[in-house]
Amino acid sequence: SSRTAVQRSNAILVSHRQKGNPLLKHIRNVRWNFADVIPDYVLGQNSCALYLSLRYHLLHPDYLYYRIRELQKNFRLRVVLCHVDVEDVVKPLLEVTRTALLHDCTLLCGWSLEECGRYLETIKVYENKPADIIQGHMDADYLSRLNHALTAIRHVNKTDVVTLGSTFGSLSGIMDASMEDLARCPGIGERKMLVEVLPCFSNMSPTFTPESKVKRLYDTFHEPFKRVM
Amino acid sequence: MVQFHEHIISDLLEDPIGGLVVISSGLSLSKLISSLLSLHSADEGTLLILSASPSQRRSITVSSNPNPNPNGGATPIEITSELPAHHRHALYTSRGVYFITSRILIVDLLTSKIPTSQIAGILILNAHSLSETSTEAFIVRILRSLNRKAYVRAFSDKPHAMVAGFAKAERIMKCLFVRKLHLWPRFQVYVSQELERDPPEVVDIRISMTMAMKGIQKAIIEVMDACLKEMRKTNKVDVEDLTVENGLFKSFDEIIRRQLDPIWHTLGKKTKQLVSDLKTLRKLLDYLVRYDAVTYLKYLDSLRVSESFRSVWIFAESSYKIFEYAKKRVYLFTRSEVGKPSGQSNTVTGKRRKSKENNDGKEASDGGVLLQEVLEEAPKWKALRDILGEIEDERQKHASVSDELVDTNLEENNGIVLVACRDEHSCMQLEEFITNGPKKVMKDEWEKYLLSKVELKGYQSRAKGAKKKPKQPKGFGILNGVAPTTSKENAEPSSINKQENDALLAAAAEIRNLSKKEAGTEDPCPHHVGDEVTSKGKTTGKSKRPSRKRQNSETQNETGCNCKTSDKYGVSNSSNEGEKADSDTIIGDGLQGGEEGTSLSGNGVLRKHNQEITPGSMRKGKPLPPVHFHALESDHCMLDTLKPSVIIVYHPDMTFVREIEVYNAENPSRKLKVYFLFYEDSTEVQKFEASIRRENGAFESLIRQKSMMMIPVDLRLQIFNRITKYLDIYKYMWTARIIFADCDFRSDDHLLGLKDSFIELQASVSQNSITRKAGGRREAEKEMQACEYVIVDMREFMSSLPNVLHQKGMRIIPVTLEVGDYILSPLICVERKSIQDLFGSFTSGRLYHQVETMVRYYRMPILLIEFSQDKSFSFQSASDIGDDVTPNSIISKLTLLAMHFPRLRIVWSRSLHATAEIFASLKANQDEPDETKAIRVGVPSEEGIVENDVRAENYNTSAVEFLRRLPGVTDSNYRAIMDACNSLADLAVLPVEKLADLMGGQKAARTLREFLDAKYPTLL
Repeated sequence: SSRTAVQRSNAILVSHRQKGNPLLKHIRNVRWNFADVIPDYVLGQNSCALYLSLRYHLLHPDYLYYRIRELQKNFRLRVVLCHVDVEDVVKPLLEVTRTALLHDCTLLCGWSLEECGRYLETIKVYENKPADIIQGHMDADYLSRLNHALTAIRHVNKTDVVTLGSTFGSLSGIMDASMEDLARCPGIGERKMLVEVLPCFSNMSPTFTPESKVKRLYDTFHEPFKRVM
Repeated sequence: MVQFHEHIISDLLEDPIGGLVVISSGLSLSKLISSLLSLHSADEGTLLILSASPSQRRSITVSSNPNPNPNGGATPIEITSELPAHHRHALYTSRGVYFITSRILIVDLLTSKIPTSQIAGILILNAHSLSETSTEAFIVRILRSLNRKAYVRAFSDKPHAMVAGFAKAERIMKCLFVRKLHLWPRFQVYVSQELERDPPEVVDIRISMTMAMKGIQKAIIEVMDACLKEMRKTNKVDVEDLTVENGLFKSFDEIIRRQLDPIWHTLGKKTKQLVSDLKTLRKLLDYLVRYDAVTYLKYLDSLRVSESFRSVWIFAESSYKIFEYAKKRVYLFTRSEVGKPSGQSNTVTGKRRKSKENNDGKEASDGGVLLQEVLEEAPKWKALRDILGEIEDERQKHASVSDELVDTNLEENNGIVLVACRDEHSCMQLEEFITNGPKKVMKDEWEKYLLSKVELKGYQSRAKGAKKKPKQPKGFGILNGVAPTTSKENAEPSSINKQENDALLAAAAEIRNLSKKEAGTEDPCPHHVGDEVTSKGKTTGKSKRPSRKRQNSETQNETGCNCKTSDKYGVSNSSNEGEKADSDTIIGDGLQGGEEGTSLSGNGVLRKHNQEITPGSMRKGKPLPPVHFHALESDHCMLDTLKPSVIIVYHPDMTFVREIEVYNAENPSRKLKVYFLFYEDSTEVQKFEASIRRENGAFESLIRQKSMMMIPVDLRLQIFNRITKYLDIYKYMWTARIIFADCDFRSDDHLLGLKDSFIELQASVSQNSITRKAGGRREAEKEMQACEYVIVDMREFMSSLPNVLHQKGMRIIPVTLEVGDYILSPLICVERKSIQDLFGSFTSGRLYHQVETMVRYYRMPILLIEFSQDKSFSFQSASDIGDDVTPNSIISKLTLLAMHFPRLRIVWSRSLHATAEIFASLKANQDEPDETKAIRVGVPSEEGIVENDVRAENYNTSAVEFLRRLPGVTDSNYRAIMDACNSLADLAVLPVEKLADLMGGQKAARTLREFLDAKYPTLL
């Protein structure tokens, strides 16, 4: 009978275990009520969540494992909601990650109670939402599409897009522009001294060498997709 | 070759292990490298050059060409991924000199495709960009473990970048296993002696800026100061760094970023905006002295359009002044008295009025609006012209005196004048200015500016529907003598701004019409547009510059594309047809003798030119010496090829000044004269001086660091530690004791021995080593058994994770993966995302797709979210979370992903090193991954796998990404498009039918075609 209650409910069902958890104060966009449920939070027909504070985990390293084992196979999405509330995270987080992974749980991390609360709310609110906002269907208006396409080229920013657009008139015009024409555009014909900003990206692309924006643009349009072997 | 280069080389060669050389920028590092290469002999083995930028590669190749060493050291060749594996192998063993990218080298090292014993050594350029986790360090570690004789010589000519961060130089030296730091600042005694022995004649010219420029500069600095004050209030950045002087440099961003990065995600929107505003302001300051008034205004307009909603600075009090002044440099907008006489407006400012004939009709409607062109020229232009004139005078005087005297001397001093500017844009503009005169250049820029404005109108009215078109001939009316009362905007001039816009638009429309007409007349044979224009130009005694030509043909293309609309124009144009021949001659006239033309027809199309400034006359008046323009940013070393005898430094730059000094020292017989053009009291001067101070400061700091460097002792301790840690302690105790004892002697010879044993140890520790000394074999074999394999996608070698995994003792197998980035076991597949990637690939939908395929093929698909060690470990601050569930929040996106793929596992990693630990832990009790299976996963059809395909290198990745972002292009059709078109430029001209075939549908093809051809809505 509790199953059917879950099905009908459009509120988050909270286990009595969670009484006194300050997290509950931050669930405000969705209704919630206490119920006799095995997980800490039942967020829908097929999804549930366990809440774990890293600080608690340090004191009771086995707790998570036992809670997961109780869940059995009743839910399709089993979230371990981890509140990162310690400074030295690497070791405890590794343990939590490992346990969650090996027991078919999805780990979500929040750095504040607000954030943790928001994850719970979102799962509930989006219960029947399609995935289109993460499938790359973006704004249909011309300018944002143009921005989106041109900024795929490294170091091209929105101002450059405006400059390119107003100089060449259309995207095909931009794609057809000669190296010289590109160099004439204010802000484009200027090379970024990447060397100077490099140190902060050093773990990203160590082999990076400075190259002009003009050449980058030109090459993107004129170099073949597949370089010939 | 300059003497101090010899010193540098002989110092460097002293240590067979190698060393790190830091020299002042501009002291011709590439020549130094090529001298070093010429000493390379084939007996030593193959020499590889890493991390050279394209321009460095070019100049090294150029400077090693003239005197190829017969003994070996040939011109270096590039090893690229296009070379098949066996070919690369042949090169590795050929004992030559090669440029190579670190990505190819590391993959070939890991897959044992390099006979390491044949490698003599490697040279690493741009050493300032190295770190412990960079691929170069990875390469050196592996190479050293396999070949202990190979040397590593690293170079940098960016001293200020070498002091960014704590003990950076020392850390770089450690990761390269070198222990000698060679510092060669400009103030080093050998360097300064040689460069100052016979200094060139220097003329320093200070030009004062115009009032408006001063005003702009002052206003920008005020705004900058205000931004800095705001920044101080946040208490997030060290106050000492927040000075305007620091703000002038690009490295300022880095200072700020370094302090803010760890807390970046916790910053409010305003602080983040301040950081980017400061960047924008610095650019504005820089462009002020670089661009002409019109281009500057255009840039400001672009900025206003792209930034207005976010920026703080744009609303500041002083910012208003920036825009005002910038506008005043270009045009004035005034209300004229009705019925003002026309045809006499040829003042120096090139004042232009709206066409006279229309005045009766027009002024009634727009209230007598007058648009006055100011078109202020850059003050440096005049100075440049004067200098050139002076040079020519001197030259002629000189020539007449010493004509027959010394022919050889004349040949030596070829009289070439080199003008050095910052960028290509300025170069082209100055060249035009020299040939065509300042007015012409400004006019052209102005026309371009107006044209870019008018397109908006076209866009808008087109959007309203083509049927309305003939009724709304968007400004054609002015030309046709029809009062534009039909235009709503003109009918009700609600505000000054509106009127101003209208006036600009009207002026633009005239120009547009002019070019349309020109295009129209040339229609019969459109391919000869350029020729016709030139010939016309000739007949009018005027050489048209290339860009004008292009502009014409562009406009023509445009009309071609929108043939529908222009057909409709035909109706309203019909009255034009008759005039065509007429107006054509008028144009000619107008160009020749403006005034006449204007009064003749009163047609607003015509540009009024003052007779005296027509370029031809200027040329005749003052013959100019042969001038070459050089863009400093192009990184070509022009000095050696051009051999100029006079150099005009139009945009002062420290590096270039040094290059001049070196050039002067190398050519002592040449009497060199150098002119510097500075704007007085400008940030330009301030910046130039500060850059010298900054470099000297960097060297002083490096010298201090060097004196305190712990490298030798440190290495010994490290060696000892490693010995006791990794090796059978009893067996090696004896050696170890000796080593330890040696530490006290501090003798270099012993240290060398130490080095060797250290390297040997490295070898035994290394998992990928193949050959090793017998001593380490047992250990190695033991480790091999426990060895853990990780299959890594080739593209991941851009990141540092493979390096760190290898440091952790995992064996890396580089392959091309269609699904996932890392395969840990037959079950576990990992897609790695840095925070930045994560946000980006959510927006593009890439992540969704990647997860979808991972889930399809692997039992345990993992999304690894990897934070950066030096940034905060969180997405956002609690205050940024907001009150509602919003679709744009990263929380919402991540939640949706988890909900749609309940089997997806998410791993949150604090840093690279934490990731390595997590990987190791996840691999425990799992089978090793299967390489051949992993490669086949997700590969579509049976197209077969290209052997040794370094995919990322074989694809033009930014083009592929660009393509995939275009509307109508989907995951299912982009491959077909790529197969059918060679490049994006090809795609841009494909007709819609062809596209429909490729894209599998009319709808998608139309979407794409329309997007490509859509008119960009311009400013206003």
